[in-house]
Amino acid sequence: MFFHITLERNMQLHPRHFGPHLRDKLVAKLMKDVEGTCSGRHGFVVAITSVEDIGKGLIREGTGFVTFPVKYQCVVFRPFKGEILEAVVTMVNKMGFFAEAGPVQIFVSNHLIPDDMEFQSEDVSNYTTSDGSVKIQKDSEVRLKIIGTRVDATEIFSIGTIKDDFLGVINDPGAAS
Amino acid sequence: MSRRREDDYEEEEDDEEIEEEENEDYRRRTGGRKRVRSDFIDDAAIEDDHDKEYKDEEDENEELYGGRGQKYRKRGSEFFDLEAQVDSDDEEEEDEEAEDDFINDAGTDLPDESGGRRAHRPLNMMPEDQEDVEEMERQVYERYAKSSHIEYGEDATEVEQQDLLPSVKDPKLWLVKCAIGRERETAMCLMQKFIDRPGLQIRSVVALDYLKNYIYVEADKEAHVKEACKGLRTIYSSAKVMLVPIKEMTDVLSVKSKTIEISRDTWVRMKLGIYKGDLAKVVDVDDVRQKVTVKLIPRIDLQHLANKLENRDVVKKKAFVPPPRFFNIDEAREMHIRVKCRRDKDTGEYFEMVENMMFKDGFLYKTMSMKSIRSQNIQPTFDELDKFRKPRGDGDADMASLSTLISNRKKGHFMKGDAVVIVRGDLKNLMGCVEKVEEDIIHVKPEMAGLPKTLAFNEKELCKYFKLGDHVKVVSGVQEGAIGMVVKVEGHVLIISSDTTKEDIRVFADNVVKSSEVTFGITKMGDYELQDLVLLFNMSFGVIIGVESEAFQVLKGVPDRPKVVLVKLREIKSKLEKRTNAQDNRKNIVSVKDIVRVLEGPYKGKQGPVQHIHGGILFIHDRHHLKHAGFICVKAQSCIVVGGNNVKHSGDKFDAIFGLRPSSPYLQSPRRPPRGHMDRGGRDNRGGGRGNDALVGRTINIRSGPFKGYRGRVVEVTGSFVRIELDSQMKIVAVKRDDISDTPGSATPFREPSQYDFGSETPMHPSRTPLHPYQTPMRDAGVTPIHDGMRTPMRNGAWAPRSPLSMMMFAR
Repeated sequence: MFFHITLERNMQLHPRHFGPHLRDKLVAKLMKDVEGTCSGRHGFVVAITSVEDIGKGLIREGTGFVTFPVKYQCVVFRPFKGEILEAVVTMVNKMGFFAEAGPVQIFVSNHLIPDDMEFQSEDVSNYTTSDGSVKIQKDSEVRLKIIGTRVDATEIFSIGTIKDDFLGVINDPGAAS
Repeated sequence: MSRRREDDYEEEEDDEEIEEEENEDYRRRTGGRKRVRSDFIDDAAIEDDHDKEYKDEEDENEELYGGRGQKYRKRGSEFFDLEAQVDSDDEEEEDEEAEDDFINDAGTDLPDESGGRRAHRPLNMMPEDQEDVEEMERQVYERYAKSSHIEYGEDATEVEQQDLLPSVKDPKLWLVKCAIGRERETAMCLMQKFIDRPGLQIRSVVALDYLKNYIYVEADKEAHVKEACKGLRTIYSSAKVMLVPIKEMTDVLSVKSKTIEISRDTWVRMKLGIYKGDLAKVVDVDDVRQKVTVKLIPRIDLQHLANKLENRDVVKKKAFVPPPRFFNIDEAREMHIRVKCRRDKDTGEYFEMVENMMFKDGFLYKTMSMKSIRSQNIQPTFDELDKFRKPRGDGDADMASLSTLISNRKKGHFMKGDAVVIVRGDLKNLMGCVEKVEEDIIHVKPEMAGLPKTLAFNEKELCKYFKLGDHVKVVSGVQEGAIGMVVKVEGHVLIISSDTTKEDIRVFADNVVKSSEVTFGITKMGDYELQDLVLLFNMSFGVIIGVESEAFQVLKGVPDRPKVVLVKLREIKSKLEKRTNAQDNRKNIVSVKDIVRVLEGPYKGKQGPVQHIHGGILFIHDRHHLKHAGFICVKAQSCIVVGGNNVKHSGDKFDAIFGLRPSSPYLQSPRRPPRGHMDRGGRDNRGGGRGNDALVGRTINIRSGPFKGYRGRVVEVTGSFVRIELDSQMKIVAVKRDDISDTPGSATPFREPSQYDFGSETPMHPSRTPLHPYQTPMRDAGVTPIHDGMRTPMRNGAWAPRSPLSMMMFAR
């Protein structure tokens, strides 16, 4: 799920950036530092929408670096248990398949794939129903439900299922070609 | 009883005891004074009698007790009975069940006596009945007063109970060895002896049914015991008398309820025969006859059986245990084994009968004594369980495994907060959360509304329970330590997708706890540590960037493209600790800990200290690189040493540094020098006693000896012998080192360089040759250049087919 939240961060700025564009530099650095990171609490920071407030800078002794407390608004993405997501399959193996929904990697174990889908280790490994009508392979788009998440300091990893109503392949590039 | 003993007792302020002792003493001394004595005895009996059943009778039986004593005396065996009472009294001090009825004790000790006593009761009713009523009244009063007092004592607190435990002041227990099977007899003899010879200073004798070969004698001194045992036929005079430590004294006389509970559907293991160790499932229990019927997977040699049935010559095979296999009637019929079908009388089930073995669904049903099975601590593996489930989808397998599991639980299994499900009783399938644990009583807060806040359950009624997607850690069993997410719940079996390997793991719910553990806790496994450079079994190499519960994350040595693989411990061949150098883009020497900057490729601009160098490939650790624990793998050529010389060098400087070797054509190649250098490292190793490494893992031919002509892989080099795993046979043989010739063609590319360079160097360093006699014969200088010519292109395409090379070898 996406959230628009306000976060705070202490930014350290090198003295060489002090000047008329200090604020721009600071924002640029903030974006560079923060966007794409992941915290266990908030999830992935997708984009910074605005900088609300930049506090008073404090010069560090010895280094000359200045620490600014920065308040910014950003869009974060955090997967939740039970959430339905659409994801792109990135890898298929006999244990199941991996899919990505933006920055989140989701693993769908073969136990969580409908029983009628079998693993086929053709040149492009895939999961296919017995009648061949549905095929999950690399780059397929699937709709899945997250059943569990594991949150590390720098990574969120989820396990999903497609063994439920209305879940499964939503757009199969293999079928089109 | 002797005076001495009485003295002892006086110290012990035990009124009853003293009273009783006095009685006895008195009785013995006075002998004939029936009336007084009978009173005393009566009292003693009453005091000791806690059994309420008796109370109703007691009014009328008043005289009976007295009479009994008298009667016994007449029979001349009253001492015996009394001794028994006294003895049990003594025992009582040690016995935790202090409120045991003495009379009953005496009765159990001497069942015949008690029987006799009962039989005589009616006779005794009348004759002693001449006492005056007041006396009677007094006694009745006394009895009830006492008994009520004792009743009060019955629910004595633990502290009071503790008081009864033996102390240093009490007489000691001695363990005496006697003839096997004669324990009771010996005890009786000792008692009799005690009666016959008043000088004996033992207090009691105990023979335990379950303890063969030994009896216990209670006495103050070892000498007393010896004295008493002297001359007894059943006690060897040489036998040592051992003291039972005070702490263990109570154990001697406390009854342990060691009932092994075998119920249907539990898993057991066979103790004896060809099925020894095999898993079996109990299908029927006959407690009376101590028999169980189990079903197991038969180990039957049909051919053998057929031969036997047809009375053909049965060749006795020595210790051949047929593998477990399901019994197949058709197969048996083919062998002309008669298979009868019979209905079991009791259960009404049909069995196939062969000789007198019963089969059903391929399983063998076997009735055997309870003693021949083991039922404690059975941990069936999934494999075994699967086998049992095979022929039919056996729904009860889960239940059976569950019951076994529960009996195998460790202590402190449940913890506050655990999600549990009730598996037995009326509230079966109710889910809840552990609120409090008290020994084996668990207080559970049920999830369902409308139920009391907490319910108390026995531990055995509960089972842990996990939901899909829970992050768990396996805490016991084969998979211990694995961490993963639950992807499937099958009854009490969970399927977990391991965090590290993404493999499925099947575990019992009981072996698992919820975990929020982050998987990067450990930094070391086996001999390998985080950030070590390791050689993998497929001869590729990489840096360990993550240690997980059962695998390493290894960043492979593939430049410019991060390739991370998960490697199990056993897939790692060795640590690469050679200190080697490489050359950077500007021909500067790069060594470990130098700071380099990447000049080209996807990592352009990254900078950091070199952690490892292997084969011209650098592993740089860049703090700002977030992926792969900060490790970057690049070619040495695409880097530059920070602060290094930017001038492009000719070979001169290099040669100056590596003065050992003259510039040769391949030294010019920028990739060569590091290799040469590395080789030196390799050589050093060899000199340092690890020289065998070069040979280990290589495929060789055996040139002479009993295994001449065989091909195999070197497993180990020990002294002048080489252990070789033969390709054609599944075995490892030891061959003299001189008898082998290696075929480098089949060695893997990463190994080769050292071998080759070595060869190429031989002419230049003749002094080295003798060090490696096993290699020398192969390395005629003439061949080497050809190889090197062949090899250079191969190294670039690291995995190019090896065939041309091996062809060369054969051609040679």
